Amino acid sequence: MPKALEMAALVALGAAVGLGANALSPRPAPVRAKVYSVAEASGGACAGPEEAAAARAPRISVAEASALCQSCLAAFVDARSAGEFARGHVANAVHLPPSGHPDEGAALDELRSHPLVVVYDGDYSCAVADEVAARLRGAGLADVRVLSGAWPAWAAAGAPAAAGACGSCGHEEGHP
Amino acid sequence: MRRAPAALLRLLLGAVFLWAAAVKLPDMAGFAESVANYRVLPPGWVPLFAAALVGVELVAGAALVAGWWPRAAAAVVALLLLVFTAALSQALLRGIDLACGCFGGKESASWGTVGRDLALLALAIASLALGPGRLTAPRAGAAP
Repeated sequence: MPKALEMAALVALGAAVGLGANALSPRPAPVRAKVYSVAEASGGACAGPEEAAAARAPRISVAEASALCQSCLAAFVDARSAGEFARGHVANAVHLPPSGHPDEGAALDELRSHPLVVVYDGDYSCAVADEVAARLRGAGLADVRVLSGAWPAWAAAGAPAAAGACGSCGHEEGHP
Repeated sequence: MRRAPAALLRLLLGAVFLWAAAVKLPDMAGFAESVANYRVLPPGWVPLFAAALVGVELVAGAALVAGWWPRAAAAVVALLLLVFTAALSQALLRGIDLACGCFGGKESASWGTVGRDLALLALAIASLALGPGRLTAPRAGAAP
């Protein structure tokens, strides 16, 4: 069996080498600062100030969107890939990636029956959600917003997911 | 005769860890963000842990390749893989959609990633059991 002392020496040497290598890295980790996950960061990266306002749909927080989900006052659109959607999504969300929906007309009719549509994706930049939101606005939907913090923030908050309860919204899970 | 397979296994594991560390070095800040997205560590610990982790990968990988304290290095690598597997699994079970950060880049965490870590863990345990091995040809006339 390996000696614990040798293992400890390797770990200690490794930690020292890592800190030294970090100092020499072109993009070092900020060792004196706190690094938050994107979902924990204030407002989520979707609210990044560097984004051009014109390209961004209005944002909605997870707390507000979750309340609207519970009361069935908002429809949710999942703009991620089919695989990500299958692994977990907002309860009753319609899967509508940028490539479109197999029955786009029916999907849009379903979304029009709600006063508000919330679009989300899995990427912290929310670029895909913005793209889909712009398309929905172009299709005549009046109030389309993008979820701040995207799916990671929703999942981190424990908001209603496919396996959870989202009230009785009166339509089939996943697709209109 | 298991010296050559044992040595090849040690070299393979060492190369994987050297590579995993090397691709993170140019963007340690990005790797720290990946670590933070697992939401396991307090934010104040994340950058130090991320930097130290890359160094441990580097030193353990180099030790395996060079044959320095090979059993201890294999044990460290096995412990790292256990930690990686646990971190990935908890993130997936919590529905966190994140890049795994395993080899830098944007590779998404998935159960396939967990399977890969478990396979590497099996190799590390085998290396621990088999010992360092040796890559020398048997002498002529030597008993097999």
